[in-house]
Amino acid sequence: MRSIKHFFEQSWLLIVASFFFGLLIAVTNAALSARITWNATAKLNTLAGGLLPEAEAFAPAKETLDIAALGGKPQTLALYKATKGDETVGWIFTAVGSGFADKIELVVAVDARFEKLAGFDVLASNETPGFGDQIKYDYFRNQFKGAPAGTLTLVSGGNSETIDAEIVTISGATVSSTAVVEAMSHYLVQVKEQMRQKGLIEP
Amino acid sequence: MTTNPDGQAGAYTKTLLAGLWRENPVFRLLLGMCPTLAVTAAVKPALTMGFCVIFVLICSNIMVSLMRNFLKPHLRILMFTLTISTFVTIADLLLKAFLPAMSEKLGPYVPLIIVNCIIICRAEACASKSPMLMSVIDAIGMGVGFTVTLCVLAGVREVIGTGKFFEIQVMPSGFVPWAALTMPVGAFITLGFLLGLVNLISRKHS
Repeated sequence: MRSIKHFFEQSWLLIVASFFFGLLIAVTNAALSARITWNATAKLNTLAGGLLPEAEAFAPAKETLDIAALGGKPQTLALYKATKGDETVGWIFTAVGSGFADKIELVVAVDARFEKLAGFDVLASNETPGFGDQIKYDYFRNQFKGAPAGTLTLVSGGNSETIDAEIVTISGATVSSTAVVEAMSHYLVQVKEQMRQKGLIEP
Repeated sequence: MTTNPDGQAGAYTKTLLAGLWRENPVFRLLLGMCPTLAVTAAVKPALTMGFCVIFVLICSNIMVSLMRNFLKPHLRILMFTLTISTFVTIADLLLKAFLPAMSEKLGPYVPLIIVNCIIICRAEACASKSPMLMSVIDAIGMGVGFTVTLCVLAGVREVIGTGKFFEIQVMPSGFVPWAALTMPVGAFITLGFLLGLVNLISRKHS
């Protein structure tokens, strides 16, 4: 009994402060989360528009995809359909890779038949400026435009202007390059398979 | 305030001005070097970081001052960290909601304010020993001092490194920007020169 009393004498302020600060963060988060989500959606739409410029609208597909994330954890992935009038011009989804400093979140765009990549852009990353953040640069991203929408391979040498399944790594940023290529390959294969199973693309 | 017979007004003014020059956190105490070097490639991110630090400093100093009579010596650092991390999280959420592009630009350096020595130093040196008003004035002085320093450093780097100030072209068209100044090496060199300049001025004054 005495030890419990001693515990509360010593730590009551910490306990009270933890509850108070936790509540403060919860209230702030509740007040701002809708706006933060809206910002993220707006950014996704902007990036998607850049990847599929012919598209007039992006709408979430009715079907969600159940895939395994890179670590093996089950994930429900939202799929967006890019349309021009009534015609589907492509598909958009997000992929997450493990970068040098933190997770790298990518927006991936593929054509309507899921045969070729329309490209990717970086939704969120904390890669080192000047090194890992070169994954955002056009010279690296352009290698993906028109590449087959399937397993990609990272190579250390070669012509980065040749569009195929071989992606030339960024010198000095091997971890970031690998993270992008691994995430793309991992997600592309699974998303394609799931979309076939759900009848969204032809087998 | 100037007619206060206890000399409180003088103490407040002294505390307010201390952060700007005599105890400037960057130039005189060499605290908070991580954001000083990392976010000063341009004035806009430097100013945003400065405002975030002012917000966290004021809020954490108020809270620490309010709880100062109940603080147990062996738990005080834990309490400071808990308080600071709460307000840093709130600042981070505010940035993500209202300045998403800047939040992305500042990246991990906003959450890293939690371990910024200036804030924990002011909690320990001032807020845990002073009443609330004095703690708030100390926070404003130190926060403004930090922000001004960041902006001076960022101004020099942005003008010489890109030819722009606040993203507006200020240098003549023939000017060749020293791109190195926008890189990490430029941060160290500029800080070194400014520290030397501050030392020179303070030696002349003394």
